[in-house]
Amino acid sequence: MIALDEAVLADRFGRRLACEASVSAIEWVGDVAWFACGDGAIRRADMTGDYKPLAAHQGAILTAALDPNGQSLLTGGDDGRLLRVARDGAVEEFGSFGRHWVDHIAASAQSGLIVAGVGKEAMVWKRGATKPTHRFAFASTIGGLALDAKGKRLAVTQYGGASLLYANSSDSGRLELQWGGSHLACTIAPDGDYLISAMQETGLHGWRLSDMTDLAMRGYRAKTRSFSWNRRGKWLATSGDTSAILWPFDSKTGPMGQRPLLLGASEALVSRVAFHPRQDILAIGYADGVVALHNVEDDRALEVERPGGEAISALSWRGDGSVLAWGAEDGRCGLLDIGSQPR
Amino acid sequence: MSQQKVPVTVLTGYLGAGKTTLLNRILSEEHGKKYAVIVNEFGEIGIDNDLIVDADEEVFEMNNGCICCTVRGDLIRIIEGLMKRRGQFDAIIIETTGLADPAPVAQTFFVDDDVQARASLDAIVTVVDAKHILLRLDDSHEAQEQIAFADIILLNKTDLVSPQELEEVRQRIRAINSQAKVLETVNAQAPLDQVLGQGAFDLDRILQIEPGFLSEDDHEHDDAITSISVSSDAPLDPSKFMPWLREVTATRGQDILRTKGIIAFPGEPKRFVVQGVHMLMSGDLQERRWAEGEPRTSRLVFIGRNLDHAELARDFAACAA
Repeated sequence: MIALDEAVLADRFGRRLACEASVSAIEWVGDVAWFACGDGAIRRADMTGDYKPLAAHQGAILTAALDPNGQSLLTGGDDGRLLRVARDGAVEEFGSFGRHWVDHIAASAQSGLIVAGVGKEAMVWKRGATKPTHRFAFASTIGGLALDAKGKRLAVTQYGGASLLYANSSDSGRLELQWGGSHLACTIAPDGDYLISAMQETGLHGWRLSDMTDLAMRGYRAKTRSFSWNRRGKWLATSGDTSAILWPFDSKTGPMGQRPLLLGASEALVSRVAFHPRQDILAIGYADGVVALHNVEDDRALEVERPGGEAISALSWRGDGSVLAWGAEDGRCGLLDIGSQPR
Repeated sequence: MSQQKVPVTVLTGYLGAGKTTLLNRILSEEHGKKYAVIVNEFGEIGIDNDLIVDADEEVFEMNNGCICCTVRGDLIRIIEGLMKRRGQFDAIIIETTGLADPAPVAQTFFVDDDVQARASLDAIVTVVDAKHILLRLDDSHEAQEQIAFADIILLNKTDLVSPQELEEVRQRIRAINSQAKVLETVNAQAPLDQVLGQGAFDLDRILQIEPGFLSEDDHEHDDAITSISVSSDAPLDPSKFMPWLREVTATRGQDILRTKGIIAFPGEPKRFVVQGVHMLMSGDLQERRWAEGEPRTSRLVFIGRNLDHAELARDFAACAA
C-alpha cells in the first residue's frame, strides 16, 4: 500500500509485524508482547528482533491470559486444551477437554487462581496446580468469565444471567443474578461494586452488587467485546459502537442516570479498547484497522495506525505503559513505543 | 476490507435417513474444498474430517420483543471461533439432530450481525427416508418442519419403496413444501453441485416461484403444514403490498415458517424479490429484469400452519395498483 496520507505514529515510533493469522489476544510477559494467534502459534516480539511462530495448539488459540506467576502465558484453544507456555518455549498441558473448546480464561496473580470456561463448566486450578482442582457446572454455555481485583470472586455469565461465587472453594455458595437474554463478556469493577455484562442483543447489563440493583446501558450498534477500566476505576471504556463509550463509575450510583462520554467518533465500529495503565489515555482499535490514542480529558487524538485491513482484535499496553501492542483479524500487528516519543 | 462470506449448508433429517452418508460423500469427494463440520453431540458417529466441532443446540430467545425470534447461541459462538481459523476451510456444514427445529438455525444468520458479516446461509438440505417418512410426518412436528424449511430435499432410499408408495411420499412432500427442489436418491447419491453452492437465501438467485400444488379442497387436518401460493396478474402497489406483508408476517409469524415471493411493481422493470423465515423478512429489487414478453405475474408462497388460503389470496389481490 502506498501511504498518501499523513504519517501516523507507527511510521515513526512503531514497528509493524505480519502474523499471518488472526490475533486472538496479546499479553505482555515481562517486556515482550506475546501475540496468541488463530493458527495455534504464539509470536513474541518487542521493538527489535525476530518473532518466529512458537507452535502451541493444534487448532486456533481462542483466548489467552498471563499466568499468575507472571512469567508464562496461558492459552485456550479449539483443540480443547489449556496450555502454559513458558519464556523458554516449553509447553505444558494443564487440561485437555476433548472436542470442547477452551473459550475463556481468567487468572489472578493475587490469588494464584486460574479459571477456564469450557462449554458449560468453569474449571479451576489452584495456585501451583497443573491439573484442574475442581469445577463448577452451569445450565448453559459460559459466555464470559471475570475475577475480581483480589482474584477470589468469580463472575460467570451465561444465558439468562450471571453467577457469582468464590472460585477457591469447590462448594462455594452461588449468588444467581437473573436477567433475560444471553450474556457474553463480563467484567467486575476494580472496587468490586459492580458486575457488567455484554448482551447478545447488544448493550450492557449491570448489577450493583451491594443491593442487586439492575443497570441497563443500551444503544450500542454491535456487541460489546472489549472492556477496559481506567487506573482509578472511574471510567469503564467499552467497544461496540462508532465511538468508544465510557461510563462513569465515580458517583455513589455509578453510571445510573448519567450520560456516557464518547471518545474517538469514527465511521467504523470500535472493536477494542485499552486504557493506559498510568495516564487517562485510551487506546482504541477499530473495525477498519485503525488504532488511535485519545486523551480522556479533551478527546485529543493521535493516530497510531491508519485504515486498511480488518478489525483490530487485540490491544494491550506493556505494564509500565511505555509500549502499546495491537493485532488484527488479518494478522496485521504492531508495537508503538511511546516512551521514546518527544513530548 | 470486507472478507468473503463463508457459505453454510444446514443438513437436517431424522436419524437413519442418510444424513451421515451424504455428509461423508461431501467430505470425501474430490472437489478440492475443505469443510468445517459442526455436528451435534448426540449425532451419528463415523464422520471423517479434520475440523469437527460439537454443537450443543442451545436455543436462545432474543430479548427483543419478538416472541418467535430464537437463535442458536452455540452457532454464534462456534462461527465466531471458526473465523480465527480463516483460510483453513472453504465452507461450513451444520448437521442438526433429527429433533432440531430448523428455524433458530436459519434465524441465526439473519439476526446476529457478526454472523451475518462473516457467513451466509447457502441452503437448508433435508434428507428424508422414503420408507419411513410418512409415519414420521404423522407423529412428529419436527419431521414436518424440516421439510417445510428445506430448500433441497433428498428423498433417499427410494429403492426400498414401491412406485405407488414413492408417489404418495412425493405428494406429501409437495403438499408441505411446494418450493423445495426434490432430489430422489439411493444411498444419498445426489450430484453435489445440486446440493452445495445453491445460494437459496440469495435474493438474486430466486428465479421462480412454483405454483401451489394443493387446491383449497385438499385441505388436510388443521395442524398440518402446507404451502399456500397466491398470485396476481395485475402489478402490485408497493405502498399497499409492503405494509400488508409486514402485517401478515408480524401477526402470523409463528405460523408462517417460510415466505418467498417475486413481485411486479407498476412501471418497475426489475423484479422485486422477498424471502423470509418466520417474522424475519428480506426483500430487494433484483438485478434481473422482467423479460420481454414474460407475463408479469406476482407470486407469493407461504409455508406454514393454519393459513387461510382464501383470505390471503383476497388480501394479496387487494394490493393491486
